[in-house]
Amino acid sequence: MNKKIAVVLLLGILGTALFSVFSFSADVQLDYWIWDPTIRGKYEKAIEEFESQNPDIEVNLNAIEPDNYWTKMRLNARTNQLPDVFNMSSAFLEQWVSNGSVMALDKFLEEDLNQENYFSPLFDVLTFDGSTYALPFAWVTPVLYYNKDAFDEAGVDYPSNGWTWDDFLKAARKLTKDSNGDGKIDQWGFWFYGRYAHIEPWIYQNNGRLLDENKQNFDPSPEAVEALRFLTDLVLEHEVAPSKSEMSGIDQQNVFPQGEAAMWVDGSWSIENNRRIIGDSFDWGIAKVPRGPSWEEDTLFAWPDNIAISPNTDHPEAAWKLAKFFSGPGLSSDLYMAGKIPSYNPLAKSEEFFNQDAQPSNITKLLEWGSLPMKTSFTKSWSEWRGYAGAEGLGLTGAIDQVINGRKDFDQAMKEANKYINKVLDENYEE
Amino acid sequence: MSKTQKVIYYTLVTGIGFIWAFPFLWMMNASFSTQEVIFSLPPKLGDLFTSSNPFINYIKVLTEYNFFRYMLNTAFVTVSASVGQLLTCSLAGFAFARMKFRGKNVLFGLFLMTMSVPIQVVIIPEFLLMMHLGWLDTWLPLIVPSIFVGSLGTFLMRTFFENIPQEIEDSAVVDGAGPFRLYWNVFLPQAKTPLITLFILAFITNWNQLLRPILYINSRSLMTLPMALTQFQSQYEAEWHLLLTGSVITVVPLIILYIFLQRYVIRGMARVGIKG
Amino acid sequence: MRNGARNWYQSWHPYAFLALGVVGLFVFRLGPIGAAFFMSFTEWNIMGDIEWVGLANYKEMFASGDFWIVLRNTGVFTLIYVPGALFAGFLLSLVINVKVKAVSFFRALFFSPLVTSAVAIGMAWSWILSPKFGILNYFINAALGIEGPAWLGNPDTALMAVALVFIWKEAGFYMIIFLAGLQNIPNSLYEVASVDGASWWHKLRKITLPLLTPTTFFALIIAVFRLWQHFQLVYAMTKGGPGISSTTLPYSIYQNAFVFYNMGYASALAYVFVLIVGAITALNFYYKSRWVTYQ
Repeated sequence: MNKKIAVVLLLGILGTALFSVFSFSADVQLDYWIWDPTIRGKYEKAIEEFESQNPDIEVNLNAIEPDNYWTKMRLNARTNQLPDVFNMSSAFLEQWVSNGSVMALDKFLEEDLNQENYFSPLFDVLTFDGSTYALPFAWVTPVLYYNKDAFDEAGVDYPSNGWTWDDFLKAARKLTKDSNGDGKIDQWGFWFYGRYAHIEPWIYQNNGRLLDENKQNFDPSPEAVEALRFLTDLVLEHEVAPSKSEMSGIDQQNVFPQGEAAMWVDGSWSIENNRRIIGDSFDWGIAKVPRGPSWEEDTLFAWPDNIAISPNTDHPEAAWKLAKFFSGPGLSSDLYMAGKIPSYNPLAKSEEFFNQDAQPSNITKLLEWGSLPMKTSFTKSWSEWRGYAGAEGLGLTGAIDQVINGRKDFDQAMKEANKYINKVLDENYEE
Repeated sequence: MSKTQKVIYYTLVTGIGFIWAFPFLWMMNASFSTQEVIFSLPPKLGDLFTSSNPFINYIKVLTEYNFFRYMLNTAFVTVSASVGQLLTCSLAGFAFARMKFRGKNVLFGLFLMTMSVPIQVVIIPEFLLMMHLGWLDTWLPLIVPSIFVGSLGTFLMRTFFENIPQEIEDSAVVDGAGPFRLYWNVFLPQAKTPLITLFILAFITNWNQLLRPILYINSRSLMTLPMALTQFQSQYEAEWHLLLTGSVITVVPLIILYIFLQRYVIRGMARVGIKG
Repeated sequence: MRNGARNWYQSWHPYAFLALGVVGLFVFRLGPIGAAFFMSFTEWNIMGDIEWVGLANYKEMFASGDFWIVLRNTGVFTLIYVPGALFAGFLLSLVINVKVKAVSFFRALFFSPLVTSAVAIGMAWSWILSPKFGILNYFINAALGIEGPAWLGNPDTALMAVALVFIWKEAGFYMIIFLAGLQNIPNSLYEVASVDGASWWHKLRKITLPLLTPTTFFALIIAVFRLWQHFQLVYAMTKGGPGISSTTLPYSIYQNAFVFYNMGYASALAYVFVLIVGAITALNFYYKSRWVTYQ
């Protein structure tokens, strides 16, 4: 009996070995890693398409959820096991460039890519000391979401392009309501959670900046401080937005779509979740974040998601082909969740991409804003000083929390944040 | 148990049970729901009674997302790691409990210490070790170290072997038993309860391993259940309803196993007074 | 009486019994642990080169105000979790150590949280503890007529709430251990006591508790060792916030290791943690003989 099993096993192993020798038809094997496991199936379809166009290349896809993606990728970089092609976040690119863990793409860009086909400001974010290290495949930007039904009911005009902070505040006041008279607010004018996507757009719309010119020191301009104060005052003084603690236990992404607040500023990626949660329960739209008192011109706080190539790949040409394919030219729009905009113009402007039947009906505004001058505030150790992901209580996010919770006054919190943030930045940018 | 005692007992156990059951009711409810329903405010009952196919999430997770396969993977990894521990831990526990030797306290201290080091700082060096052994993208890093060392198990077996009365050891020794016979024929048969307990605890620990599979496994065909659960999260979105369904699926085999094994642990009649 | 019998083993026997475990211990456990100790004197972001910085990480830690708050939080968490989990586990083991109808159901129920993913548990409890629509505050309001706090959103309650949920999650673990301890107590002792007409309470105090002391000692040590595992729950429920009010050492280690990739600093934090745990454990062993009795 046992012998039989052993024989079967042995044959099986031999068979597999033979099979794998003979089935090795593709000349080039590429590994491609992404951080979106939930749309793995769609990526696999696109890879099939790529493989049929390039019969000599075989692609192995691996999808890891974002929390652990970066740990694995760093280990891969350390041990020279980077996949040939991998998705790369704008927030971390600078670190990877300075570590020599991504390939400079200048040669390929020059010979084989028409940058006119892309939202060209995106390449600025990906360029360090004159070299470009990644290809953008999508971009996102924070927008002002507003609940049209609530606006109609309160008799307030929808946000228009020239909206100022005053207009916004007036509207927020009218939209904050205790509809059943129990002394508790049932609908808030605004929802402010206090992460980067909720704050930076206001700063840029007030012509402010958080970092100095070289992006190596935390040195918020007076306009930036004004924006931070305005936002915290929405909760503390004007009482048109709930405190974070009142909404604790509810995913911050769901406060607006559940109708708890009539306006909200967050990334365009939330369009997908809004569609899912709101359904038909109310009409909603998107608008540009209102202009502050020091506003000079509309800008775009936006950043791309990218594809990078390993500096150690054995097949740079094939890897480039794959990266180029996945930066847009080879893709169809269903690979993009609603609110992520393809960086590749022909795709972004195709009719299939912006589904006009689904909400928000003015979604094409995103394309208009795509041509504005772009701003970002990513640095090395950005998650650490900004207070991102598992560190939401630290850095600038933590400081704003303290203010809203009434634990520290504004100046005190900013002073401490300044010290903490500059310590983090100094460790990265020693002169 | 008298009638009054029964009433008191059931009231107590139901009260405690409610605190334990409530979060699970929420999870179960969510596993029969769509994303919208899970997050609706105020909370809503799920689609269990209204949907034409309330088990759609379960079917999806088990077939489309291959959870059957991952369950088998996890079972294989867990059983191999846990069975191995029974032997190594009982051997070590016996030596610590019943013998005197040089370096005993230091060695035991080292065993214990390994439990207290947070995995986040150990896992990176461990990864490099596994890489040098050529074990990446295999189950070996999940199984082999567990077979060799079980600090908790060693401590557990020591505690129980220490608590076996000296007379039992003495009489066996008088009968001429050597150390291995003493271990195998006298102490192990006495240790059914702690061994099953150890098996349960080792099983839980190995079944729930998260960080190790995530870092060591790349091939989808080798994924374990806790690792597969992370696959419902992406950069800007997550399939919470499927994640919660997957969580329920991950728990059920363990609960069944536990009920099954616990019968062996609870051997006697009710003791602590309830029999009264 | 320990040495009463004649010598039944030779000096190499213990090492033979321990051979497998010791090999594994040194290769798979102490190797990486030693490497982590080395890491605590370096600066390393996993990707780049390892840079020796001497005691800089430790100096930075002790100079940081946040570290001392985190340390205090860890103390509070420990003081809630360790006694709480032991007590809850013991209580549950008493409740399920009976033969009545439906007890299997309760056994399974109390066991379940232990094996459920922290993400799922975090979601369920966040919803229960939510001030606006949470079921807990609904009950508090109905019973006492007052508004409950924003458990996870309030810096004064967030840490305690997470610790209580961790007790809830882990109680099943100690239940299993205590159950094994209870089963190890000879039935005859209870039978004799019953013949003498001893009450339930009397038997609990005179037989169960004293004979359970080795198990309790074991559970106590293990509870301190399992402490660090709560970081996943913190991640799922509060991410250490608001501010750093629910950030404990293990969570801070997680942040530094896997969010900031400051492996050196994370290792230094981990070694401080290991040192504290080691000190508590040493104290426990030191005082062991005062209250632990063997059969």
